[in-house]
Amino acid sequence: MVDQQDRTVKWPEDVAREMSEGRFDTAEMVLNVGPQHPATHGVFRLLATIDGEVLIDAEPVIGYMHRGYEKLVEARDYRQITNLVSRMDWLSGISNELPMWMALEKLMEIEVPLRAQYMRVIMVEMNRILNHLMFFASFGAELGAITPTFYAFREREDIQFALEMATGGRMHFGYMRAGGLKEDVPKGFFAQALKGVRQVIARLDQYENLLIGNEIYKQRTLGVGVLSQDMAYSYGVTGPIARGSGIDMDVRKDDPYLVYDHFDFLVHTAPNGDAFDRFWVLLHEVVESARIVEQAIEGIPSGPVLGKVPRVIQAPKGEVYVRTENPLGELGFYLISDGDRRPYRMKIRTPSYNNVSVLPPVLKNTFVSDMIAILGSFFFVLGDIDR
Amino acid sequence: MHIDIVLTAWQMLIVKLLVILTLVPLVSLVGGYALHKELAHLQHRLGPMYPGGFHGVGQTLADGIKFILKEDIVPANADKTVFKLAPALIYVPAILLYLVIPIDKHLIVEDLDVGIFYILAIGAVAILGTLMAGWSSANKYALLGALRAAAQLIAYELPIVLTAAVVAMLAGTMSVVGIVEAQNWPFVLWPPGIGLVAFLVFVTGAMAEMTMPPFDMPVAESEIITGAFTEYTGMRFIFSFFGAEMAHLVAYGAIAATLFLGGYKPIVPWGPLEHIPGVIWFVVKVVLMFFVMIWARFTWPRLREDQLQKFAWKFLIPVSLLLILATAAWILYAPESLWTR
Amino acid sequence: MDSIDERPISESQASPSNGDVAAAGPDYASRHQLARERRHTFGIGLLKGMAVTIKHLFKHNTVIQYPDEVQDLSPRTRGVIALKEENCTVCMLCARECPDWCIYIDSHKETLPPKRAGGRQRKRNVLDRFAIDYALCMYCGICVEVCPYDALFWSREFEYAEFDIRELTHEKERLSDWMQTVLPPPALEEGALLPGQPDAPAVAAGAAGPGSAQRPSPPSAGTAAAERPEQAMRPPAAAATAAPTADAATQSQQQAGETQAAASSAAPATPTEEKAPAGATAETKGPDTKEPEAIASSTEAASPSPTDERARETSTAERSTSTEPATSGDSEAPAVPEVARGPNVEVPSEAPRPVALERTEDPEAVYQDVLKDQLDKGSSPQVAEARAKVARVKAERGIKRAPTPVETDKMVPSAPTKGQPPEPEPSGAPEAQDIEPDPGPVAPEGGDA
Repeated sequence: MVDQQDRTVKWPEDVAREMSEGRFDTAEMVLNVGPQHPATHGVFRLLATIDGEVLIDAEPVIGYMHRGYEKLVEARDYRQITNLVSRMDWLSGISNELPMWMALEKLMEIEVPLRAQYMRVIMVEMNRILNHLMFFASFGAELGAITPTFYAFREREDIQFALEMATGGRMHFGYMRAGGLKEDVPKGFFAQALKGVRQVIARLDQYENLLIGNEIYKQRTLGVGVLSQDMAYSYGVTGPIARGSGIDMDVRKDDPYLVYDHFDFLVHTAPNGDAFDRFWVLLHEVVESARIVEQAIEGIPSGPVLGKVPRVIQAPKGEVYVRTENPLGELGFYLISDGDRRPYRMKIRTPSYNNVSVLPPVLKNTFVSDMIAILGSFFFVLGDIDR
Repeated sequence: MHIDIVLTAWQMLIVKLLVILTLVPLVSLVGGYALHKELAHLQHRLGPMYPGGFHGVGQTLADGIKFILKEDIVPANADKTVFKLAPALIYVPAILLYLVIPIDKHLIVEDLDVGIFYILAIGAVAILGTLMAGWSSANKYALLGALRAAAQLIAYELPIVLTAAVVAMLAGTMSVVGIVEAQNWPFVLWPPGIGLVAFLVFVTGAMAEMTMPPFDMPVAESEIITGAFTEYTGMRFIFSFFGAEMAHLVAYGAIAATLFLGGYKPIVPWGPLEHIPGVIWFVVKVVLMFFVMIWARFTWPRLREDQLQKFAWKFLIPVSLLLILATAAWILYAPESLWTR
Repeated sequence: MDSIDERPISESQASPSNGDVAAAGPDYASRHQLARERRHTFGIGLLKGMAVTIKHLFKHNTVIQYPDEVQDLSPRTRGVIALKEENCTVCMLCARECPDWCIYIDSHKETLPPKRAGGRQRKRNVLDRFAIDYALCMYCGICVEVCPYDALFWSREFEYAEFDIRELTHEKERLSDWMQTVLPPPALEEGALLPGQPDAPAVAAGAAGPGSAQRPSPPSAGTAAAERPEQAMRPPAAAATAAPTADAATQSQQQAGETQAAASSAAPATPTEEKAPAGATAETKGPDTKEPEAIASSTEAASPSPTDERARETSTAERSTSTEPATSGDSEAPAVPEVARGPNVEVPSEAPRPVALERTEDPEAVYQDVLKDQLDKGSSPQVAEARAKVARVKAERGIKRAPTPVETDKMVPSAPTKGQPPEPEPSGAPEAQDIEPDPGPVAPEGGDA
């Protein structure tokens, strides 16, 4: 119901007069979307000022899931941290672990064996596929087509099973260690992983037919939530969203880490910056990730998966910044160590935070229904925003 | 199928009403189960498997009982009388729709002379209930949903009315039984083109009127959380939302089958098919309609509110108007040999 | 499902399947433009979508009907932590390393008489309480990883939800019960190497424990693996002193290890611990320690062949001497259950196995048993029934299904089942049978001695 305070009662005469004067003022109301709302992927809150169906202003309110990780890690040693940070962005647990260990390895000057690097690439890329499928499918559900969700979860299952074979976990893997991995993967992992990624690619046309090629989907996404290139730059938007706005930026290519320079893959961009382009890029990244996984499994060398590491993982004094390409964008760990077994300070630059901060200007003057489409197309995970 | 027990007209009516009153909730249950299962298999799932023993046949019954036993919450700021009344206003019209649907030539509660008119009128009443529910809930989401529903009704009632008018023109009567009897060839096949397009327009309008995807902007569970029914719980929710939805789904399926697919008559006037009882023809057609509507419903995303309106005003209504013109032309100028009635 | 789904990706792309996305090639930009411009396709896109869904209507489902069917989870699955109580030395490492401090350990010190006359009295810790609060646990597995004496294991069982949060704190009896469900570690993928190992083509199972890197023993101590099981089996008091002994043994075994390679390639039959540290795996000396041996060794284990092992044992004098005092210490240790033990330490390892493989109990009987047991324990009827159902299903599966083909060449130690003679192990991997811990005499007497 309209807010009691700002309700302006209008009589038909008023309306007629306003219309004759060429204006038709209507009362605005504040619609509180969230923190418990099905379209917000968690406890995200949006204070939306709407006038009828038009969203005049939107103010994201975050922090409902603040768990104080950046402070918490100061009281945990690195092995414990790896299990904490995998809970930041719960859709891409292992991708979160990677930069943390890379930062530590950089500080400690640990060399990671080649096999471990390949394995990390495989894991991270499989995780990327999982994440992208999840967002693509849930976007369908937000637009009202709930069927792709179930197909995506079917596809995810095989990949997730492969990851579970190796790590024992389905979401929170805790698999990386300083200098490599916890242990080598079990027999059958490669076969399962290949099966998983190949299935996804073989069935991509289903998603395409269900959503990308669907006229209603196109109507709902084309030109909706346009994020201009300038705005993406100025808000620090990264990842598939930035690439959907035509910014050719991918840490895997621009600043290759691990062994990404061994593989042949493309960075896809799309020029228009609307929801359609973001999902177009997202779906193509699935293909590229699958190709990377395939190449990595074909070319993986034999050897140990754990380098020579000291017994006590204790970073020397110093500070380091490491960034990687998380499924949602650039994930950076700024690690300051005072020589203890714990970090002195660990600043985490999460992609979702920046991606969400650009929402108010994008949401301005859209429809309420578009708000859902835009929220869904600005891939964010609440744990990643609030940490 | 004459009923030879001698009853006065009033007694007869009461018996028929009792039958309908038991039939409609039953239809809701069976329809709900069918929806569960079809949806699940379309989505590569199994759906309910345990309740009731065999493939979860008891699922909707269990759901219904659960909802009925749940607490009935009325929001503190709600307009309580209206709030409580609204579900009845949604469900009762759904029941009333069944009064004029001929299951067989004589298996009908009342063959009104203005059958189509009655269907269109009653079908629109439910939206009033939605509007009441949305306004009285004292909830912004409910209000949005209710207003969207009202806007949608106005937009999509017109194509329905116009295409129903096409049928009435072709049949030369507004009695539902008369319309079925007029279809030696069902209207969807004959007259060529006109019937098919009218059928598609009618089904689209009916899906919109039931607020089914892709026209479910008024309920849109992922944005305005079932719209007008956000605040409803328990029995009122199940009756105003799922129950009425199922009853409407089957009813509109039956109406479409009656108006365009020849109702209880065989799909083509061919000897052997004439021997199959009309009830079976009717049920087969309704099931088909039901299946297709659910199939489409869960495959497509939903249209945005403005696109929804544009689709109705800029496409469906002009098409229906053209259809009326075409029908008139057909009636006036088509040679007598092409007429099938 | 469909074989067509597992083509290499390049072939998938070449396939003419609608193909806008799958075929990401150089004409990407133009296809993108096309996809955007094809806005009004007169409902063809809608019909394509409907074709996709209707095809699924006739496809066979992949749904696993959970309580009736149980997914075959990977042996590494982090389901529940099992405690092998007699291996615990109350070193508190797990409790300290736990990120959310959900492990509660109580112990007391006990004075043992000196080993030799005139010797010093020894002190050892006796475990009084070991509890994990699963309401707090974040399932990171650090405790399992850090445990230096291999007292903690992951089990893939996960069905232990409770209606009362307090019951989620599993005391050591319950944690020990989980031992029966621990699976052997899976064999490693092709090309897995141990750190420091030069260039062996293949490696046997379970070798790359992370602990290895952090263990002080250099990779050259690889031959020490053989005594690793003893170390694990050793009673806590002895274990405390084990490290130096082991090192000594390592030195002396260095040369023996080479000649012993063949023998120790059969070492899988020895009760190597699940997490035998990588740096210390001798059995990997044999370059081809792979499945054939694994199978052979497990059949070997199936036959009651302590003699075999003993023969191998005695072939290395160092080892038996180094472990001999340990066994003698064993008999005094109150925490160790009274399992029949041979003169050498290897024997007890045969006793504990994951629950019997070929359990041919009638599922109905299992159902009734568990139901009664649960009701006696005071579970609510629904819970009891649910658990009994799960037990029944598992019993059924256990009969119908062949043993899981997990390639392993190591036995898994588990809680000794007192009074219950060890059942011979069939070839193939042991299979966790029942999440419901058998009500039988499972739990060792613990530290209440």
